[in-house]
Amino acid sequence: MRPYFERMPGFGKPLKENRIARSKDSRASLEAVEAEIAAARKAKEEVGIPAAKINERGSMTVWQRLEYLVDPGTWQPLHSLYNPAENKDGTTNVVDGLGKISGRWAVIIGFDNKLLAGAWIPGQAENILRVTNLARRLHIPLVWLVNCSGVSLAEQEKFYAGRRSSGTPFFRHAELQQAGVPVLAGIYGTNPAGGGYQGITPTILIAHKDANIAVGGAGIVSGMSPKGGFDTEGLEQLIAVTRDFKERPPGRAEIHYNDTGFFTRVCDEEKGVLDGIKEYMRMIPAYDPAFFRVAEPAAPKLAADELYHLLPFNQKETYSFEELLARLVDGSEHMEFRPEYGPEIYAGLVKIDGMAIGVIGNRQGLLPKGYPEYADYPGIGGKLYRQGLTKMSEFVTHCGRDRIPVIWFQDTSGIDVGDTAERAELLGLGSTLIYSIQQVDLPMMLVVLRKGSAAAHYIMGGPNANRQNAFTLGTAATEIYVMHGETAAVATYARRAVKEKDSGKPLEPIAQKMNEIAQKYYDTSRPAYCARHGFVDEIVDLKALRGYLQAFAGAAYQNPTSTCPRHLLLLPRLIRG
Amino acid sequence: MAEILAPLAGKVWEVLVEVGAKIEEDDEVLIIEALKMENTVYASSGGTVKEIKVKKGDSVEDGAVLMIVE
Repeated sequence: MRPYFERMPGFGKPLKENRIARSKDSRASLEAVEAEIAAARKAKEEVGIPAAKINERGSMTVWQRLEYLVDPGTWQPLHSLYNPAENKDGTTNVVDGLGKISGRWAVIIGFDNKLLAGAWIPGQAENILRVTNLARRLHIPLVWLVNCSGVSLAEQEKFYAGRRSSGTPFFRHAELQQAGVPVLAGIYGTNPAGGGYQGITPTILIAHKDANIAVGGAGIVSGMSPKGGFDTEGLEQLIAVTRDFKERPPGRAEIHYNDTGFFTRVCDEEKGVLDGIKEYMRMIPAYDPAFFRVAEPAAPKLAADELYHLLPFNQKETYSFEELLARLVDGSEHMEFRPEYGPEIYAGLVKIDGMAIGVIGNRQGLLPKGYPEYADYPGIGGKLYRQGLTKMSEFVTHCGRDRIPVIWFQDTSGIDVGDTAERAELLGLGSTLIYSIQQVDLPMMLVVLRKGSAAAHYIMGGPNANRQNAFTLGTAATEIYVMHGETAAVATYARRAVKEKDSGKPLEPIAQKMNEIAQKYYDTSRPAYCARHGFVDEIVDLKALRGYLQAFAGAAYQNPTSTCPRHLLLLPRLIRG
Repeated sequence: MAEILAPLAGKVWEVLVEVGAKIEEDDEVLIIEALKMENTVYASSGGTVKEIKVKKGDSVEDGAVLMIVE
């Protein structure tokens, strides 16, 4: 298939001066949001005990461990601002992302040992489940930096129990291993109870000499058998036992290396644990990227910095999706699938680091006259119509047959509505796309460039496709909601406004309530809100987007569960005709 | 001499060039608000803007002449 992929048609045009001049304010707005996100990310890094104090105690922070562990330049953070339970410290107390270790992609997660000694806190289990899902979807190792003091006892009722609680990740570890996905753990510090299971459930356990993992920690062991109250005599006993356990906590390295043999190795130095993980990563099966490459890797011919002039911050301003894509893919080349059909949707093959990737995205702006063909009204980009829905299902199905991972780009206001649209089967075609996505069982990722709205946000590879969508990114222009706030206000209050008018009541209170709804929709759809509440897995600077695309492509092709020989690919032949 | 036509009916949101401006093919010359979006109109050919037949706020029909370029 070399002739198909080596030199694909080029696309994208150099940026015009008048576009640069006209988009200066838009660029400034995008960069202002990116700066706000960066500041929030930095604040999360600094939460808890200062790094210097942790270092004084002879330990590294989770951030320092990550820096030592991960190959330089490969770290792609995820869930940086994720905080679904709205914890006051702004964190779920784990740090995670995609990165290479010893040249291989892994999903990497560590407890933040600066805050509550890495305790379980509200929202953390959901964060971990996203991470285990990611490793499963991409079929790449999960690497843990365990340093977990167990349940934050003051808030246990918020996360200890339930189907998706803090115990669920242990079952996910088992699930990963049964799916052939190894879980490597570097273990530090005191890890009692929940922390103990965090330590014991992975595949390979490499411990620091001062680490321990235990069914119950010193606090629990010394306080067991409640007598129905406390008195000074009881407290004296408690103090004596606690002192002893503080000196010799249960489940020390010597027990779990010499006696149980749970620990694969014990290291005197903190960095030794990380060196051990690096060593084990070298043993993990991973294809050399060259095995799946359809062409030599190449940078885009057009500069990523120009994305700031091409993606308008103003949600109403239209733009060319292809101009954006050309600045993200190898050589600014592509092969478009059915360009004449379903013009509101771009679908095509591109290369990321020389690997074939399917791309689907919303086009913006005017559509050809007479489209949609089933209606007497004009179509507009961002909306989905019959042909576009059909084309997406078709393209996804072909990618599934050819085992080509898919990257979705959303900027969608929804699916066409009304009786005409119903007669055109749009409800069924949207659902058909859901079925197609689920059926092909492919790694997918999503970038919500601007708007993610209505059911279109679900069906275009949205995060709701739990088993297919590896992760979802947002940008500084992202806004996600079921519908625009003003539309929601109208839907909520239109009938009431009629009633109030008919009964002669003043309309100002209704207008005020409608404005409040619109404002609430605005506030709860901003990029930072989307990140905090997990609508997206990360808000990414436009200039950093390609790094995530490379991580996705590299990880998806590292050790796939199924493949298609490149000379048997069908999609490129269908495109060429 | 070439005419730049309105690709759809709507309201002129912004005129991005002035009479006498030198433009190239595909330059952004005007914005039409329609279907709740600000739709960019691009120059179909390069040249000098000789005449602008609309102003901000005007309603235009599909196919209306927006400006003349020579």
